Amino acid sequence: MSDMSDENFYDDIEDTMDEDSAYGYDDEREESGFGGNTDSDEEEEAILDDYGDVDDAFGTNDIGKERLKNWQVEFKSHSVESIVQAQKKEIDHVASMFMIKDTDAAILLRHFGWNKERLIERYMDSPEKVNLEAGVHEDPSRPRLQKLANFTCEICYLSSEDSPGGKMETLALACGHRYCKDCYQHYMEQKIQEEGESRRVQCMKEKCNLVIDEKTVGMVVKPRIFERYKTLLNRTYVDDSSTMRWCPAPNCELAVECHVSVKKLDKVVPSVRCDCGHPFCFGCGNAAHAPAVCPIVKLWLKKCEDDSETANWISANTKECPKCNSTIEKNGGCNHMTCRKCKHEWCWICSGPWSEHGNSWYNCNRFDEKSGSDARDTQAKSRASLERYLHYFNRFANHEQSARLDRDLYGRTEKKMEEMQLTSELTWIEVQFLKKAVDTLTECRMTLKWTYCMAYYLAKDNMTELFEDNQRDLEKAVEDLSEQLEKPIERDSIPDLRQRVTDLTVYVQKRREIMLSDTATGFEEGRWRWNVTF
Amino acid sequence: MSEARLRRVNKEIADCQNDKASGILIALVDDSPFHLVGTFPGPENSPYEGGNFDVDIVVPDGYPFQPIKMKFITKVYHPNVSSQSGAICLDILKDQWTPILTLKSTLMSLRSLLCSPEPNDPQDAEVAKHYLSDRADFERTARYWTEIYANGSESARPPNADDDAAALARRKKGVKEDPALVAGLKLEHVEQFVNMGFERNAVIDVLKRLNYRGANVRNVTDDRVVNELLGI
Repeated sequence: MSDMSDENFYDDIEDTMDEDSAYGYDDEREESGFGGNTDSDEEEEAILDDYGDVDDAFGTNDIGKERLKNWQVEFKSHSVESIVQAQKKEIDHVASMFMIKDTDAAILLRHFGWNKERLIERYMDSPEKVNLEAGVHEDPSRPRLQKLANFTCEICYLSSEDSPGGKMETLALACGHRYCKDCYQHYMEQKIQEEGESRRVQCMKEKCNLVIDEKTVGMVVKPRIFERYKTLLNRTYVDDSSTMRWCPAPNCELAVECHVSVKKLDKVVPSVRCDCGHPFCFGCGNAAHAPAVCPIVKLWLKKCEDDSETANWISANTKECPKCNSTIEKNGGCNHMTCRKCKHEWCWICSGPWSEHGNSWYNCNRFDEKSGSDARDTQAKSRASLERYLHYFNRFANHEQSARLDRDLYGRTEKKMEEMQLTSELTWIEVQFLKKAVDTLTECRMTLKWTYCMAYYLAKDNMTELFEDNQRDLEKAVEDLSEQLEKPIERDSIPDLRQRVTDLTVYVQKRREIMLSDTATGFEEGRWRWNVTF
Repeated sequence: MSEARLRRVNKEIADCQNDKASGILIALVDDSPFHLVGTFPGPENSPYEGGNFDVDIVVPDGYPFQPIKMKFITKVYHPNVSSQSGAICLDILKDQWTPILTLKSTLMSLRSLLCSPEPNDPQDAEVAKHYLSDRADFERTARYWTEIYANGSESARPPNADDDAAALARRKKGVKEDPALVAGLKLEHVEQFVNMGFERNAVIDVLKRLNYRGANVRNVTDDRVVNELLGI
């Protein structure tokens, strides 16, 4: 079957290193390609140590030429089509390298979470073993869809006599386990529609783990469900990748690529902006929250949502997978949880890994008396800490509300601009300073809002005072600008106002940069001390 | 879809009734074929031998493409079965379910689960601990449970019949259950602390909590037990 000499085979593998990037960046460095999920730490260090060096890390024209500040990270948006193409490219490459069908190559790649290097390594070692594990079985001799007489389906107990013409439509995968097509259709639709499964829809025979390939699914299920199946498959591509994340904005179908590893999230705030305009944090998917880092934002949001009924429901009925943090609802009696996304096995009661259970030191059933008396002490403390919390929360919430009011202000500003064009000799371009001021104001309020979250969790020391000084300066500048914008506009005062607003806008922007850059430097230097552990 | 479900369940029930050899019985709880009680004899050469085990079976709307829901009605002392609720930890009742499995094959899997517990994947942690610390002692308790809970002809009893009725039936047969034995404890151990003046039920609770069973007894000092009893 294979006419490839060994020599050619190895050549091909070397090629993969060059073609590593499925998105075709002109990478100078081989490892920073898109397909490689397990890029070395070294590379991450390199990116983090020098954000400014755009050309080096990502290629050429994708990102603007301006140098990144120390609190900014590199990122790029991708459309569904380009994700599909990237997958196809990877699949074709593997299919031609191993001389296998592209549907099988797809199953193999999905089984390995698109880690092509590991797949190649393992496949070279023992193709049979890898095929077995991934659920690929090569036997082209068996026809798949067949109309049969004298056939009884073991699942619905209907037989050929019940069908028109005495023949029944049946389906078998390469393993030869044959059932009627209707049952297969119900089965696949249940898996896809109800369970959201895609890459591991398997043969119905017990213990047969053969995966049903994309083409076969397409032949059997309704077109609407097939579309859903393909969407789910695409989703797993991004889900499996540690350098990609779907844009969380409603109706946005883009994914954003960013190479900040999870390990760095306690030091770096990867704020990105999807091409649809939505700014969010690549680390946690929340709205952009610089300068606070993801772990404290998570603590803070959880704390703030404690009162809401939804939060109560979620905390009563769901837990997060201890490994990948997906929210999981318990839908059966057994405490042995298997995360559907990352397959991590853990205990619902204590969230520990399941592998530690059933041993002699199993103790997640025991209520710890000591922690009971500790709890009472904390209750007294919590009254004092509640006041502290409210101090920070009120300011946090206030900036959020003010930012909303800013949007109203923006409506009024547009009107003002029209007025100004009519009542003065100013041109359209000259009245743009107001729009710019409102944009800056909103941005700064968002930053300020999150400084309160960060301040809440900072342990008190000299560094905190510096932080609070920066915070105060930014807040004062923001309020000054806000005040100017609300002043009524009079013909005579326009040039004066313009001067003042422009000055203040520049100043407030500068203060925000100082705030963000100082916190980012602080993270790099390990200057911030927290009053919580995460 | 629902027609296929009905046809299949009816055929499965009929198959079970025709097959006397397997020892597996399936009976309707009410008029609906979607709520059933399955009964099977405890497997030979196991502490469950001689017992009859009732299982509550609910056939979901999506059957056979969704797994059947099963739980023990009869109380079972087994690491993978909750001693309180009868909930079962078995992969084929969850993500390993496939439509090719039937009521009968699932009940047979339950039966073989009784033969081969998976203590490292427990549903009932206390029982699993007992199983791992002293196998012989565990089997003694499991056999005792089989005797007092599974020995009667309770088959096809409606699952909602409350425990009082079951207890009444047992009393009629002259079997009286001892909470110490039910908890897998030795009577002499319990009496030892009762003689110090502690209440019997409290002693049982504490010993149960400390896993005062079999070989583990030597790991728990008397002082520890007394301290627990005094609430220190």
